[in-house]
Amino acid sequence: MKIENINIPLMISGNLIENINLNDNYYRMRIEAPQIARKAKPGQFVMLSMWKNKDPFLKRPFSFYGIESDSGTFDILYKEIGKGTQIMAKSKVGDLVELIGPLGNGFMIPENTNNIAVVARGIGIATLMPLILESKKRGIAIYAFLSAQTGSLLLCSNEINSISEKVFYTTDDGSKGAKGIVTNFLENVLKEEVIDVVYVCGSKRLTKHIRNLQRKYNFLAFVSLEEHMACGIGACKGCVHKTKDGYKRVCKEGPVFPVEEVIFDD
Amino acid sequence: MTKEVSLEVDLGPLHLKNPVMPASGTFDIRCTLLNEKELNRLGAILPKSIAFQEREGNPGPRICETDCGLLNAVGVPSKGVEYFIKEELPLLKKANNIIIVSLMGNSIEDFCNLAGYLNNIEEISALEINLSCPNLNNGIPFGVNQDKLYELIFNIRKNTSKPIIAKLSPNVSDIKEMALTAKNAGAQIITVANTLMGMAIDVDKQVFRLGNTMGGLSGPAIRPIIVRMIWEIAQSVDIPIIGVGGVYCAENAIEMLLAGASAVQIGSANFFNPYVMLEVIEGIEKYLIKKKYNSIQDISGLVKN
Repeated sequence: MKIENINIPLMISGNLIENINLNDNYYRMRIEAPQIARKAKPGQFVMLSMWKNKDPFLKRPFSFYGIESDSGTFDILYKEIGKGTQIMAKSKVGDLVELIGPLGNGFMIPENTNNIAVVARGIGIATLMPLILESKKRGIAIYAFLSAQTGSLLLCSNEINSISEKVFYTTDDGSKGAKGIVTNFLENVLKEEVIDVVYVCGSKRLTKHIRNLQRKYNFLAFVSLEEHMACGIGACKGCVHKTKDGYKRVCKEGPVFPVEEVIFDD
Repeated sequence: MTKEVSLEVDLGPLHLKNPVMPASGTFDIRCTLLNEKELNRLGAILPKSIAFQEREGNPGPRICETDCGLLNAVGVPSKGVEYFIKEELPLLKKANNIIIVSLMGNSIEDFCNLAGYLNNIEEISALEINLSCPNLNNGIPFGVNQDKLYELIFNIRKNTSKPIIAKLSPNVSDIKEMALTAKNAGAQIITVANTLMGMAIDVDKQVFRLGNTMGGLSGPAIRPIIVRMIWEIAQSVDIPIIGVGGVYCAENAIEMLLAGASAVQIGSANFFNPYVMLEVIEGIEKYLIKKKYNSIQDISGLVKN
């Protein structure tokens, strides 16, 4: 019983200490919530609300983009897109943030991992960022494969450039990096060397490519899935994704799944 | 010194220490933030509907938020009754002494088998019948057809000695008739009501926002409809009512009690605030003290024409 309790998420109020517009409608929010920041692991998420008037009705899930357990803060990266994120974008330093977390299962980094590849589409890089930093800390070489609609949406590229062995970019409009599918670059690397683990986030299409490459080159691969969530704690059964073992809750059994277990219909 | 108030309520044969419990499908004993002591403060505990056999539920997307509400087409996934008894019931038993089990089925036989199977399990206090389940024969929910509703409850009655709570469907033109039918068929308590059928379309992608096309609307958006239904039934049918639909705070729960409910369930508000049920219990108590009432009975159905 005691052991289970350790994993029970907390519902607490945090303090907004930074809310910065990065570009276009992308923002980074820093929240002070030591009880959550100290327990948070790469790949986990929080349910968040900064509204109380039933509209929006639900909290929103955000994965940890940065975790600073020493200062008791964490960051999220978000795109102003709907009612909830519009309120977030307008919020000010000092505002209260209602939180439930940390939630879900984070990324697993196997022992003796020498190198990893991270593959992200757009804001999917936010979820992978704590994993990248943790890997760097462990001396693991990082190959980054980043894809976006256009150059300005290749988020965090400076930071990733500075800590990765190699970084490959593709954009749909060719404004930065190459045009085309970023996983083609991954395949070029795989032809030359062994990659221990591949992590992907932000695109079902890229995840399917990873699955195909996995069949061919045989590596461990994990995907962080996104779904609409109502509760985030496993109670509502609303956020399921199809897997080889039936529907699984993204919030509870995920959000990180082995790529080979996930089934995409389309 | 304030006078002691009692939150205890009698719902026909069912005695509760207070009138607040989760709505089916919004609470899971295996992933709740409430500790054992907090769970024990609830009037009753009510896990998600169980089916006799394991069932997967609907394909995604299963939920979508709407204005002041939530559309869901989760489709009652269940690991089946045996799993429930072995894995869930022991946890529920530790949490609360009133366990209400919600039943789902797609035929009268399904429901009867399930009710019969659970009849000898002492820890189960009552059975709530989810009448929004579609009948396998024609896909029409039992709860929207008086004859089918009667036949279902009547047959379940023959298979159980436990109190039967009929969870009515609000997707009908006359909820009073359905309440009376449920009572005449042998239900001792009714839950009013369930989600309202709804639909949402993504105008950008031009697709339905739920995998199942249609779903059930819950949340504050539906509360006035439910309050009206509770009131209509309370005026015409003599049966204890559990109100459910959009309760978000104590004030909302009190509104249902004033309309004629004896207890309330809290559903999708649990998703926003897992502690909401405890807050509602406290809020009702404060209201009784402030307004100088002794008990829930004093305010239940207080507002009349």
